[in-house]
Amino acid sequence: MSRIRVLGPREQLGAVLERVQDLGLVQLVEPAERESLNLLGLTPEQERHVRGVRQIVKDVDAAIELLGKTVSPPRAPQDIELPQAALIAGRCRRELEGLAEQRQGLEEERALILKFRPFFAAFQKIGESGLDLDGIRVFYLVLKEDGEDELRRMRAAFRQALGDGFELLSQPSDSGDSAMLLAVPSADAMKAEQLLSEAGVQALSLPDQFEEQSVGATIQRMQARLGELPGELATIERERRRIAEDRGRDLARIQATVRDHLATIEATEKAVVTPRAFVLEGWIPSAARPELDRQLGKSFGNQIEVEAVSSEEWAGDTVPVVLHNPRLFRPFEAITGMMPLPKYGTVDPTPFVAVFFPMFFGIVLGDIGYGTILGIVSLILRIRSRPDTTLRSVSEIGLACSLFAIIFGFLYGELFGDLGHRIGLHPIIFNREEAFFPFLGFAVALGIVHIVLGLLVGAVKMFRGDKRRAIGKGMAALMVVLIALALMAAFGMLPERFFTPLVITALAALPILIIGEGVLAPIELVSTLGNVLSYARIMAVGTASVMMAVVANRMVGAFGAIWVGVLFALVFHLINFVLGVFSPTIHMLRLHYVEFFGKFYSPGGSQYRPFRHWSARESASEERSK
Amino acid sequence: MSLDMVFLYLSAALAVGIPAIATGWAQSRIGPAAAAALAEKPELTVTVVLLIAIPETLAILGFVIAVLILMQGGG
Repeated sequence: MSRIRVLGPREQLGAVLERVQDLGLVQLVEPAERESLNLLGLTPEQERHVRGVRQIVKDVDAAIELLGKTVSPPRAPQDIELPQAALIAGRCRRELEGLAEQRQGLEEERALILKFRPFFAAFQKIGESGLDLDGIRVFYLVLKEDGEDELRRMRAAFRQALGDGFELLSQPSDSGDSAMLLAVPSADAMKAEQLLSEAGVQALSLPDQFEEQSVGATIQRMQARLGELPGELATIERERRRIAEDRGRDLARIQATVRDHLATIEATEKAVVTPRAFVLEGWIPSAARPELDRQLGKSFGNQIEVEAVSSEEWAGDTVPVVLHNPRLFRPFEAITGMMPLPKYGTVDPTPFVAVFFPMFFGIVLGDIGYGTILGIVSLILRIRSRPDTTLRSVSEIGLACSLFAIIFGFLYGELFGDLGHRIGLHPIIFNREEAFFPFLGFAVALGIVHIVLGLLVGAVKMFRGDKRRAIGKGMAALMVVLIALALMAAFGMLPERFFTPLVITALAALPILIIGEGVLAPIELVSTLGNVLSYARIMAVGTASVMMAVVANRMVGAFGAIWVGVLFALVFHLINFVLGVFSPTIHMLRLHYVEFFGKFYSPGGSQYRPFRHWSARESASEERSK
Repeated sequence: MSLDMVFLYLSAALAVGIPAIATGWAQSRIGPAAAAALAEKPELTVTVVLLIAIPETLAILGFVIAVLILMQGGG
C-alpha cells in the first residue's frame, strides 16, 4: 500500500475528484501535514444541501428495502436530477410504508382468526343455545383434551364465587380440545377473570373489530373475513409489484446517483486548499499506482501532480489492508476473512491456510468414496456459482479438500470405510481401524510442524522490529522440537543415547528463551506444548469417522433381509458423510485460528475502501454475498 | 472376563465419559450465551463457533486417553 498526495489548481478539484471516483483506486484520507492549508469544509448552504441529499438517501434506501430483491443495482454510474430524485424517493417510501403497514394489519387479523378457527363450530353451537347476552360479559375459553375434571372444578369454583349468576357451556371441537363459553354479568367480569387465571385456563381475546353482540354473528363475520383476507393481501402484493415495476429502476438509479453525490461531497470535505491549489491524500495499492498516474496524466496533463508521501509523515496512521494472493490461494481468503484483517505490514496467513487446511481435512476424512462425493458436490457448486463470490470460494476450498481426502483415502486404503479393504485396497501408510498409535503420532507430529512453522513465521516477521523477542520466539520453536525429540528418544523411537544431549540442549536454551520472551516464557512454552497436543483431534475425529463408516458397512447382513441392511448402511453413510465434512471443518478452523494464528497473527487491520462509484461498490458486495 | 479387564474397560469408559459430560456441560452454558450474542451481533459467528468448539478438546483428549488405556491394557 502506498500513501500518495495529489496536487493541482483549485478550480480542477471537482473534475479530479470525479476522475478519481471513476477509477476507484484511492482511499481518501485527510492529509497528515497541512501547515498553511485549510480543510475545504462546507458553507452553510452546502450543509443544507448535504442534509437534503442524506434525506433522499434515507428515503431511497427504505423504499428499496421494502421492495426487496426485485430491484437490482445499475452496473454503471447514473445521472438524475436531485429535486426529481427527492420527489420520487419520498413518494415511493410513503406508498410502500403504507402498504407494509396495511399488510401487517391484515396478517395480524388473519393470525387472530386462525387461532379461533378450530373452535368456530363449537362456539357457534354454544351461541345457538339461545343465551341472552345483553349486559353480559362473554369469555371464549379453550380447555385441553381430557379436561373433564378441570371443567368440574371450574364449575364448582364459579358456583362458590358467583352463585348461579354465570353460564358455562362447553362443546368439543374438531381438534379434540373443548371450546367453552363463559357468560357472567358485566359486574362480575373482574372476579371471573381472576378465577380463570387461578385455574390456568386460556382465554381467547376477541379482536376489536369482531366485538359483536351475538356469538354466531361474530363467528360468521370472522369466517367471511377469512375468505376476504387472501384477496386483500394479494391486492397489496400486486400494488407493491406495480411500484417495483414502475419505479424499481428509477429507485436503483436514484440510489446510485445520490450515494455517488454524497460520496463526492464527503471526499471534497477531505481536500485541503490554498486560495489557488488543492491537495488530496489517500492510500492506493502499490501495484495500482502507475495506472493512477497514467489515467490522471491522460485527463489533466501537467496540471496535476501525484507524489508519494514519505513514511515518516504517516508513521502513526492506520494503513488500510487488502489481501492479495495468487489465484490458487485466493479462495482461502474466505477462511482468513472470517477473522479480523491482519494489521498492515504483518503476515497474511492465507498461503499457509491454503496448504494446511485442505491437507488436515484430507487426513481426517481420508476416504476415496467420501472424497469423491465431496468433489462432485463441490464441482456442482463451482459450476453453479459466479466468479468472485463466497460460494465460488467455498466450492474451490471443497475441491481442494476432496482432493486431499482422496489422496489420503488411497494411503489409508479406505473406500467408504473398510469396503476398500474388502475389494483389495491395501493401506500404504497405516490402517486407521487398528493403528491408533501411529495415527496419534502422525497427528502430533503434524502439530509440531504446524506450531513450529507458526513460531518461526512470527520470529522472522518480528526480527525487523524487536530482535530480542524474535530470538525468544525462535528459541520457543527450537525447544518444542527438542522436547519432542527427547520424548521420542525416551520412548525408544530414537536411539536412547540421544536423550541426555537433547535434554541438556533444551535446558541450555531455556535461559535464552526467558531473556527473549520474559519470565512468563516457560508458562507460554507449556501452553505451546498443549497446543501441539490439541492436534491429537486429527486422530480422534479421523478415527471416529472411519469407525462410523465401518459400523455402517456392518449393518449389511445385520438385519436379516439384505436390502434392509443396505438401506440402513446407505443412510448411516450419508450421516457419516455430513458429519465427516462438518466436523473436520470446525476442528481444522479451530486448529488454524487458535493454535496456528496465535503464534504470529496480528489482527487489527482496517479494510481498504477506495473512493468509487456506489454502483461498483454495490455490485462487488452483491457478488461477494452470492 | 477377569476383574483386571473389567477395571480396564471401566477406566477407559470413565476416561472418555467424564470429559464428555464436562464438555456437554460447558457447551450447554456457552450455547445459550452464544445464541443470544449472535442474535445481536451476527458478525460474531466465527468467535461463537470457536467458543463452542473449544470445550470439545476435553472429550477428544478423553477419547485419546481411553484409546491409550485400552491399547496399553491389551483390551
